[in-house]
Amino acid sequence: MNLGNIDWPLIGEATVDTLLMTGFSLLFTVIIGLPLGIVLFLTSPRQMLSNTAIYQLLSFIVNVLRSVPFLILLIVMIPLTRVLAGTSLGVEGAIPPLVASAAPFFARLVENVLRELDPGVSEACRAMGANSRQTVLLALLPEAMTGIVAAVIVTAIALVGYSAMSGVIGGGGLGDLALRFGYQRYQTDVMIVTVVILVIMVQVLQVFGDRLVVRLNRK
Amino acid sequence: MLLKKFAPAALVLASLFATAAAQAEKLSVAATPVPHAELLEFVKPALAKEGVELDIKVFTDYVQPNVQVADGQLDANFFQHKPYLDSFNAERKTSLVSVGLVHVEPFGAYSSKIKSLDELKDGAQVALPNDPSNGARALLLLQNQGLIKLKDPSNILATARDIAENPKNLRFRELEAATLPRVLPDVDVALINTNYALEAGLNPVNDALFIEGEDSPYANLVATTEARKDEAAIQKLVKALQTNEVRQFIQEKYKGSIVPAF
Repeated sequence: MNLGNIDWPLIGEATVDTLLMTGFSLLFTVIIGLPLGIVLFLTSPRQMLSNTAIYQLLSFIVNVLRSVPFLILLIVMIPLTRVLAGTSLGVEGAIPPLVASAAPFFARLVENVLRELDPGVSEACRAMGANSRQTVLLALLPEAMTGIVAAVIVTAIALVGYSAMSGVIGGGGLGDLALRFGYQRYQTDVMIVTVVILVIMVQVLQVFGDRLVVRLNRK
Repeated sequence: MLLKKFAPAALVLASLFATAAAQAEKLSVAATPVPHAELLEFVKPALAKEGVELDIKVFTDYVQPNVQVADGQLDANFFQHKPYLDSFNAERKTSLVSVGLVHVEPFGAYSSKIKSLDELKDGAQVALPNDPSNGARALLLLQNQGLIKLKDPSNILATARDIAENPKNLRFRELEAATLPRVLPDVDVALINTNYALEAGLNPVNDALFIEGEDSPYANLVATTEARKDEAAIQKLVKALQTNEVRQFIQEKYKGSIVPAF
């Protein structure tokens, strides 16, 4: 393996693409997935706003989006992606399908985090006369913060993995590079370098997330 | 006495040789099923009249047809294009040669934004297949149209990074070959394999902005060994595949998905 043969600017470009794809999709995933997860939790049976119809509908949509293979989602979403991102190509084109795939996943994680909380917290709030909005914002979310941060990290790492498939629509990124040069053109060194960068990226995310969780727990 | 005893046998032998000489010359040709074997079936009756009996051996693999011809097990084959033949010769140290071009399964450039090449703007977005052979083929077609120049003009494994001159500042997007028809509205031009274009309802003859012609380096050819390329039967086979009847047959049966290269 000769590191001199590797096209470093190309790898740099791909690293930036992966970071952009993961970063922006994570942002939108949290913006959409967090409220969705809270609503899923609140409308589920025996909760504050328990509503079977809404819960079943949302739950069904979440399950459908989670069952569609990402590669297929990437393709069938092309017309919608074009409306949302202005193009179905490149990094911009990869973000809507990444969000559509990760937001339901994240919402389920949030729902589970909230479900694991001590029911005494929200009961105490209700007893003190808090409405459901106050209960969620002032009691549940602060309580659930560490769990939600951990869920964000899990989702971020899943997004790094999904972004590898965006090469199908010219999304670029490290996964695409590993596939096109490493696999299709037998440039094993390119494949190794991209995989090492991906491992470092995931590692950094996890360590950073774990530290954040520890710090939040101390408070 | 002895002569008398053997005379009938000799006579039988002699007549056997005589019929063999009068009989058609047999030619075994390896081909892939579509369209190669179909084209060979089409010319079979005409060749029979010329005294060549065609024995078509259908293969679905791309290595054995060349191996069998190089070993002398078969007389010729018809399934590949020149870039493939060259790389095969280089890898396997064989000396197979092309005896004649028959057809191109053409690669075309499509657009939903512009009607002709002159309308292509500076900085236009061009989508290419991202796999090695199709990507390079697309770049070679662009070079052929004078849109770009490659560092090595005959590199059949070129990528967008091997472009030396790009006067129109075209921006290239490399993506999965099968996805290209779907992203057509997002780019100015997309270079699409004919099979994928046909599946997406595009017609290579009417819809393509430009398409590989008979001068394409990817024309499918009849190949045999260097030593046998001038043999009469092989020359007859090539001639039979390059007639007007075959041209009409190709145009009617394949409706533009393949074009004659002779």
